[in-house]
Amino acid sequence: MRFKLNSRLISAAVVGLILAFVINKNWGSASFLDSKNISTFLVMGVALGGIYAITAGGLVVTYATTGIFNFAHAAIGCFLAFFYWQVTVQWHVPTLLGIFITLGIVAPLIGIGLDRLIMRRLRDAALVVQLMVTVGLMLTFMGITLTIWSPKTGRTLDHFYQQSKGVELGSVIATWHRIITVIIALVVAVALRWLLYRTRLGISMRAVVDSRSLAGLTGAKPSIISGASWALGCMTAGLAGILIAPETGLVVENLALIIIVAAAAAAIAQLKSIPMAFIGGLIIGLATSFSTTFLSFGTDWSYAGEAIPCVILFIALLFLPQARLETGKVRLTKRTERLTKPWEAGLGGVVLIVIVGAWANGWIPWFSGTTFGERSSVWLGRGAGFLVFGLIMLSLVPLIGWAGQVSFANFAIAGIGAVLFSHFGGQNGDPIGIVLVMLVCAPLGLAIALPALRLKGLYLALATMAFAEFTDKIIIRHPSMLDPSNSGILYKPLKIFGFSISTDTVDRKAFVMFLIITFALLFFMLEMLRRSRWARRWIAMSDSPAASATIGVNLTTTKMVVFMLSGAMAGFAGCMLGLQTGALRVDSFPMFVGLPIVLLLAVQGVRYPIAAFMGALGLASFPAISELFGNPAWLTQLALIGPGIAAIAMAYRPEGAVFYTGRDLAGMLPWRQDAREEKALLEAKVRAENIDKDEINDLGLTRPFTADKVSQLDRILDVTDDLDEHPMVPREVMS
Amino acid sequence: MTPILETKDVVVRFGVLQAVSRASIEVIEGRVTGLIGPNGAGKTTCFNVITGLQEPTSGKVLFEGKDITGKNPYKRARLGIARTFQKLEVFGSLSARENILVAAEQRKTWDRSGFSPAAVCDEILEKTGLSDVSEFMVGTLPTGTARLVELARALASNPRVLLLDEPSSGLNEEETAEMATLLRTFVAEGLAVLLVEHDMSFVMGTCEYIHVLDFGTIIASGTPSEVQANSAVQAAYLGTETVEEAS
Repeated sequence: MRFKLNSRLISAAVVGLILAFVINKNWGSASFLDSKNISTFLVMGVALGGIYAITAGGLVVTYATTGIFNFAHAAIGCFLAFFYWQVTVQWHVPTLLGIFITLGIVAPLIGIGLDRLIMRRLRDAALVVQLMVTVGLMLTFMGITLTIWSPKTGRTLDHFYQQSKGVELGSVIATWHRIITVIIALVVAVALRWLLYRTRLGISMRAVVDSRSLAGLTGAKPSIISGASWALGCMTAGLAGILIAPETGLVVENLALIIIVAAAAAAIAQLKSIPMAFIGGLIIGLATSFSTTFLSFGTDWSYAGEAIPCVILFIALLFLPQARLETGKVRLTKRTERLTKPWEAGLGGVVLIVIVGAWANGWIPWFSGTTFGERSSVWLGRGAGFLVFGLIMLSLVPLIGWAGQVSFANFAIAGIGAVLFSHFGGQNGDPIGIVLVMLVCAPLGLAIALPALRLKGLYLALATMAFAEFTDKIIIRHPSMLDPSNSGILYKPLKIFGFSISTDTVDRKAFVMFLIITFALLFFMLEMLRRSRWARRWIAMSDSPAASATIGVNLTTTKMVVFMLSGAMAGFAGCMLGLQTGALRVDSFPMFVGLPIVLLLAVQGVRYPIAAFMGALGLASFPAISELFGNPAWLTQLALIGPGIAAIAMAYRPEGAVFYTGRDLAGMLPWRQDAREEKALLEAKVRAENIDKDEINDLGLTRPFTADKVSQLDRILDVTDDLDEHPMVPREVMS
Repeated sequence: MTPILETKDVVVRFGVLQAVSRASIEVIEGRVTGLIGPNGAGKTTCFNVITGLQEPTSGKVLFEGKDITGKNPYKRARLGIARTFQKLEVFGSLSARENILVAAEQRKTWDRSGFSPAAVCDEILEKTGLSDVSEFMVGTLPTGTARLVELARALASNPRVLLLDEPSSGLNEEETAEMATLLRTFVAEGLAVLLVEHDMSFVMGTCEYIHVLDFGTIIASGTPSEVQANSAVQAAYLGTETVEEAS
């Protein structure tokens, strides 16, 4: 115990020193001793902190009562803020009535609807599925909001009592909006506390957190409780959205990104303490206000202020207590599959190359009237892009699919890889650069995971999402990484074994072929890896960490290896991304762009390498569908809504498409007799379940005792005896 | 005889609840030691303390006389402590064979005796009678078979002490008898077994020495007949009935 306390003190000291250094180095012109500056800092910080506290408190209530971390929390708040704008500004409904409609009617309806249709199915689902569904929900809400309220028109939401001057505090004016915000935050805090500790509903909610089954036995109604907590979550999200929109502007990305803030505050609250969630929100608000008031990050780190919640999240993770190895949580899926044989994997790789090769050469004409079936230069370029995304998906298969470590960071790692490649050899077309990038990205993948390695899986997902945001705002925008003034082509065509692989934008055929060959090779490599002791160990660790530890698996090092492998693969994908894009921009890697990649892999089945190819096809299908309809306005956000809805569907089909179709497809292969037999067995089982049991019970009483009926009975009883030798039925009846 | 594994005055407290209080258990090589007690007596918590999944509030765990209380679970496995779980902890998406192979391969990292994991795996599959189902995903196997897989996996790390948490639950009579036979062969080979079990005829038939736990405290220790005769055990565990009637 003594040692642990010391190690925490040491981390605290290190973090403190680093923070002091950063603050000192970036101190702006404002004096800290000036009371005006301090009042400005406090007024803004407390108001902002109040909003963050509201949204974080709601997030924690939902998580604590339902066990589901809602990544869509802020996106729902964003939708509600836009809805509120529509009601009050467009339709001129009075403010208070508008608030009532938005928060009192629409928000609870959304919450109850989500609970009924989606969340109840996720209660006992695997963490991967829970995360994918709520992230899918986030993208869907963002997409819907962007579709209804086009981002091309600017919108503003007034502060409350914008006209009146506010209250003078010292030499600073606290606007009525901010004062109201702080009051509302206090009211919400007290109300939540009252609800959870003083009302019957709240006490049941807390009981559910402790033990769902026990709470059910004592008369608490789980369905009402989960519905209430989702409604409550949506109301707080909407309230925070309405309060913050006048400060940040009605911009979907900004409002949805508040999820990082809420996640950081929730991490401070260890996902369970509502008072701590409020304190966490306040800390982040004050830190943000501190940086805008006193710090000046200069042009090199111009977006550093926006990364503050990410940094706070990382720091919070460092100080969380280690997760216990839990037992009794093993989920058994009735899956039957066998390992892919080496020659099958090889054949699969060749088939992939042939399919994509035929498409790239224009040998598959279909969908006349559209361009994407044909070899248009636009679609060759897009095809290359989707194959690169497929490579990123491949890097996630061992990490998420086998080791069960949900990471949203691989697109960001690929982004860093792409930028590094433009320095390490990509500028000359030197393939050695790829190796160097992979060597950098492997430890990078590990470093991201390090703070969350000893914690439960959800924190890793939060940390990686925060890292993706951090990468976009800090790392890639630094001029020594990517010079914003250099807008030219950063890469020369890759030269391998005397071949020069053209990435010419007019005809990308060579590059597409190169990509699918590397994709097929990596696919083959992963299939072989699945047969190795490493993959076995990762899967074992994912299935039961406790049992793995008790057979001698060092969980920490085992996780480290898979993070390094995944990081290196993402780095490789990044090099390809660089070559494919040609000229990178500083805003090429927003966090939201990386999410559909993870989602579509999961939708296809995150355990299977082939799902990476199917996932890439899935990504390609959205622009294709949009093109098929002639690119109408209502489909502009399909790239967000499509993956989002596909991921939400995982609540109903959690294992992924490859799992559900794999058996049928395998049955078509001439050498897979085993798959056909298994399918027949499964179908027999389904038939047996569908037979009316009463009909069998009446057999021989009201119904004739025929061979047909007896075979039905056999199926139900799972008797596989040959019918001809059935002892119960005389031969003459049988024939 | 010196015990290969013992706990000394182990205390585990969850908040105000004292799950285990000053429990001292001894496990000796070449015999089956039983750990019995009513539901919630702290048996599984004791197992967790021994294997390192639960840190004790106070007290010690000794392996061959050496203090291993602060060691990581995986390091204890390397010393030769293996276990099964009360609620199945199989690797459901691996085949039965792979379940065992993982453990055998893991043993390779500390055991330099030059064995082949695949051969060890085949041998154990044979011994536990799992050869026929070796290629099936464990998630699709019936509970009794999955329990055997867990046992086989524990054996694959070549343990010196085997902790079995209710090995007969979910098994039918025939399978239980097989399990008992299996245990006897292990013990004959010099393994030390610590067994948590509710099936009294199974316990009394296989264990040579029994610790009785009640409300976290060891209330009696001794041979099956001694324990059965103990009035404290009868009162706390069986009411006024005798063991035969209860089982």
